[in-house]
Amino acid sequence: MALGLFAQGKKENDTQGITTITWWHSNSGLLQEATDAMVGRFNETIGKEQGIKVQAVYQGKASDVLTKIKAIDQGGNNSSLPDLVQLDAQAILDIRDNPVLIDAETLAKENNYDLSQIVESARLSQTYKGKMIGMPFNSSTILLYYNKTAFDQAGIKEAPKTLDELATDSQRLLLKDDKGTILRYGFSGVPTTYELCAWLGQQNGLSLICDMNNGHDGIPQKMLFDSNGTMDNFLTKWKQLYATGALDTATSGISASFASGKTVMMVASTSQLTTTLEMIGDRFELGVANLPAVDDKATGGVNIGGGALYTLDNASNHSKETWQFVQFAVSAEEQLAWHIATGYFPVNSGTYELDAFKQHVQDNPLFGIAIKQMRESNPQLQGIWVPSSYQIYYAFQSGILKMLTENKDVHETTLSLAKEIDGYLTDYLNMQATK
Amino acid sequence: MKGKRIRKATPYLYLVPALLLAFLFCYRPFFLTILDSLYNVSLNGVRLKFVGLSNYRRLFASESFHDSWNNTLRFTAIFAPVNLVITFSLALLCNTNTKASRLSHTLIILPMAVAMSSAVLILKTIFDPNVGVLNVILNKDIQWFSTARDAMSMLVVVGLWLDIGFDFLLFSASLRNIPKDLEEEASLEGVSIWERLRYLEIPLSAPILVFVLSNNIKDAMLMVSPVMILTEGGPYRSTQTLVYQMYLEGFKGGNIALGSAIATIVFLATFLFLLILLAFQKRRVYFQ
Amino acid sequence: MSKTIRSILSLLLALIIIFPILYCFSASLFARTDFSTSPARFLPTTVTFSNYARAFKASNLARFLVNSLICATVGTFLRMSISLFSAYSLTMFHYKGRYALFIIIIATMLLPGDALLIQNYVTIQRLGLTDTYLGLISTSLLAPTSIFILRQFFLTVSKEYREAAYLEGCSDTRFMVTLLIPMSQSLIVALTVQSFIQIFNDYLWPLLVTNSEMMRTVQVGITMLGFSESFDYGPQFAAMATLMCPMLILFIVFRKKIYEGVSTRFSGR
Repeated sequence: MALGLFAQGKKENDTQGITTITWWHSNSGLLQEATDAMVGRFNETIGKEQGIKVQAVYQGKASDVLTKIKAIDQGGNNSSLPDLVQLDAQAILDIRDNPVLIDAETLAKENNYDLSQIVESARLSQTYKGKMIGMPFNSSTILLYYNKTAFDQAGIKEAPKTLDELATDSQRLLLKDDKGTILRYGFSGVPTTYELCAWLGQQNGLSLICDMNNGHDGIPQKMLFDSNGTMDNFLTKWKQLYATGALDTATSGISASFASGKTVMMVASTSQLTTTLEMIGDRFELGVANLPAVDDKATGGVNIGGGALYTLDNASNHSKETWQFVQFAVSAEEQLAWHIATGYFPVNSGTYELDAFKQHVQDNPLFGIAIKQMRESNPQLQGIWVPSSYQIYYAFQSGILKMLTENKDVHETTLSLAKEIDGYLTDYLNMQATK
Repeated sequence: MKGKRIRKATPYLYLVPALLLAFLFCYRPFFLTILDSLYNVSLNGVRLKFVGLSNYRRLFASESFHDSWNNTLRFTAIFAPVNLVITFSLALLCNTNTKASRLSHTLIILPMAVAMSSAVLILKTIFDPNVGVLNVILNKDIQWFSTARDAMSMLVVVGLWLDIGFDFLLFSASLRNIPKDLEEEASLEGVSIWERLRYLEIPLSAPILVFVLSNNIKDAMLMVSPVMILTEGGPYRSTQTLVYQMYLEGFKGGNIALGSAIATIVFLATFLFLLILLAFQKRRVYFQ
Repeated sequence: MSKTIRSILSLLLALIIIFPILYCFSASLFARTDFSTSPARFLPTTVTFSNYARAFKASNLARFLVNSLICATVGTFLRMSISLFSAYSLTMFHYKGRYALFIIIIATMLLPGDALLIQNYVTIQRLGLTDTYLGLISTSLLAPTSIFILRQFFLTVSKEYREAAYLEGCSDTRFMVTLLIPMSQSLIVALTVQSFIQIFNDYLWPLLVTNSEMMRTVQVGITMLGFSESFDYGPQFAAMATLMCPMLILFIVFRKKIYEGVSTRFSGR
C-alpha cells in the first residue's frame, strides 16, 4: 500500500542538443505576462542559436517558492531543484550559505560578464561577504503616494519632503464632519521593516540598523538602532505625526483606503504603481514623490528591495546555459521592456542611456520619480538580512503602536524594540549547529 | 506447536497497528516535544545543547508570548461561556414541536456541513470593511481587520459559527431526552421559566453542558486555523494565539525548541483548565 | 413565551445563522464588478455561471478534490479496519494486559494533536513522506473514540458466538466480516461517515505536510486557488459552493437519523 507520490514541478528531459532550463518564479497576473514575453524572446533568439530552452514555471508567492526549495533541500533530492529560481529577501538567510547555490559572482567571472554594468545599489543589495550571490531582477524602492487633487484643493503645492512637513500637511488635509468623525486622514500606515530600513538607514548620511553590516557580512547579533540614536530620532518625529490626529494606524487595506479617497497619503513600493493607478481610475489625480526624509541630515535616500535570480546546483551541469538567460534578462533592452511592463526599475545602468528609456520616462513622469530617487540615494544604504522577519515585522508594529496609543516614552520604546529583536537574533544563533 | 503460538500471539498482533500509531504519533512526539523544549535545537531538528528552562524563560520575557497568552486566554474566557449560553438558549427556544421549530432544527445544524476553511473564507468576505455585507447590514463602518477589539470580536463570531451546529445538535438531543412526564409536571405546576431552567433543564442536561464546555475550552485554547486564514495574528498581534505563535516560531521560523516550549505550555494549560472543570463538576450533585 | 412566538423567533434566528451559506451561493454567481461596488451587494446583478467554469478549468481544483477523496476513502478504510481489529482483539480474546493496552490506546485522546504538530511533521519528513498520500493520512489512522465505541458494542456480543465459530474453523477475519460487522452495521456506518468527513475536512495537517501544488487537498487548495487579482472572489465562492453541496444535501436528507444517532449516545452509554 505504498502510496508514494512525489510531484513537484515536472522537468522536461533534454532532447537532442537542446538544453532545457527550468525557472521557478513568483510573478503572477500582469507580471507573469511580462515574464512569459521575456522568456519567449530569449527562446526565439539566443535560445535558438545556442540550443537552450527556458521553461518558466509560476510556483506561487515568493514565500511559497522558498518553502518548496527548502522542502526539496531538506529531503536531499537536489536533482528536483530548478536551474534558476526567483526569490526575495525572506530567502536570503536560507540560500546564502547553502551549498546548492552557485553564486552570481562566480558565474559572471566564468562567463566574462562585467558586473559593474549592474546599478551599484542593486549590486550591493545582493552582496554577501563581498560576493554577489544572486542577480537582482525585480527591484523596487519605496515611494510616497499622494492624492494630488486633494493637495491642490488644500492649496499644498508640493509633496512633503521631511517628516515634519508630512505632519503639517497631514494636519491640513484632515477632514472631519460636524460630529467629529474623521472622514479623511492625512496619512495611513504603520512603519514596516522595509520602510524603517530607509527611514533609519538614511539618517546622518548613512546609518546601520544592525551589526555585521546590516547582516550582509554574516549573521547579525545585535541591533544598532538603539545605540546610534536613529530610532529615537525617527520615533520622535512619528509621535509628532500622530499628535496631529491625522495619522491612521492601519495595517491592512491601506491601498484600498487610498484609492477610495479615505486617506490622502501613503507609502508603498514602486511595484504597486500600476495597480494603484488602476484602482484609482479617474477618481483623482495621483502624485508620487520621494519618501519624506526623517530630517535635514537624513540624506541617504532609500534602499532597494525586491527579488533576485539565483542559480542552483541540481547536478545537471547547466549553469553556463542558465547564465546565458540571466545575462539576457538583465540586459539593457530587456530591463527596459521589463520596466515598462511592470514598473520595477532597470538594474542595468545601460538601460538609462537608451533613448527609448528617456522617452518613456518623459511620457510617464510618475515612473521617472522612483528612478530619480534611487539614483540620488546612497548605494551603500542597504536593507537588513535578518532571521524571523515575520516576528520582527510584528515587533516593530506592536511596539510603535503601543508607544503611540499609550503615549510611551520614545527612548523606552527604542530600548524595548531593540531588546525584543535582539532576542530573535539570539534565538537564531542558538539554532546554529556548532562546528 | 507453531499453530498454538500463533493463536496466542494473534490478539496482540491485531493491536499492533493501533499501538504503533499511538506510539509514533501520540506518545513519542509528546515526550520529544517536552525534551526539545529543554534544548537548543537546530533547524534540522538536531538537539544541540541542553539549556534547561532557558527557552521557557525566553518565552515568558517575550512580548510576543505575552500577547499570545493574553489573547488566547481572553478568547477562551469570552468564547466558551458565550457559546454555551447562546447555543443552549437557542436549543431551549427551539424545543417545541411546531413545524417552524422543526425547520429550525434542520437549518441550525447546517453550518456543520461546511468545512472550516470554506466557512472562514466566506465569513472573511462578509466581514471585509470594503466588500463585505456585514457593515452594510449593521450600517456602520467597523474596521474588522484593523482594530484589535473588532478583530477579536470577529474571531469570536467566527468561532461561534463553526461550533454552533454541533453544539446545538447535542443540546437539542439532550433536551429531547428529558422525560415527558417531568416536563408536563413542570408546566402543570405553573413553574416559572427560570425555575424550570434551574431545576429541570439544566440539571438534566448537566453532563452534556459540561462536555460541550470542556470541548469549547479545549478548542479555544488550541485556536489556530481561523487565525491563520483570517488575520494572521494581526492587527498588531492582537489575534495571535498560542498555537499560532507555535506555528510561526516552529514552522515558519524553524525554531523547534521555542515551538516545542509553547506546545508544552499549551498542553499544560489546557490540561489544567480541564482538571479544574472536572473537579468543579464532581462537586455538584445532580439528580437523575 | 407562546409557542408561536418561539417558533417564529427560532426560524428567524435559524435564517440568520445560515446566511453565510446562502451568501456563498449568491456570491458564486457574482461578476467581478459585483464585488467592488459600494455598498456591497447581496445578490448578483446578473446570474453568471462563469465562476464555476473558471474555478475548475483555470485552477487545480479538480486535482485537489481527487486528492481529498483519495485520502478520505483510503484513510477511512484503513482507520476503520484498524479500529475494528483493535476492538475485536480487546473483546474477543483473554490475555494479559488487555485492559492496560486498552487504556494506553484511549489515553491518547488527552494529547491534543495540534500541540504535537511540530514533532509529527519532523517524523513524516524524516520518513520521506512529505507530499505523499500516506503522509497525509498517517495522523488520522488512529481513532481512539471509534475503538472505544466499537469495544463497547462488541462486549455485548456473546462470547459463545465466537467459540462456536472458532470450533468450526472460522477465521477471525471471516467471523468479523460475516457476523460482527453486520451486527453492528448502523454503528459502523455512522463511524465511517464521521471518519470520512473528518479526514476530508482536515486543514492544518495537510497544509503543513504538502508543499507541492499537485498534492494539495481541497480544503487547503481552496485558500490558494490563485485568483489573486483584486476582487476576483467569484471562482473561490463557486468552488466552495460546489464543495458544500453534497454535505448540505446529506445533512438535510438524513437530519432525522443524525438527531437520533446523537440521542442514542446519551441513553446508550
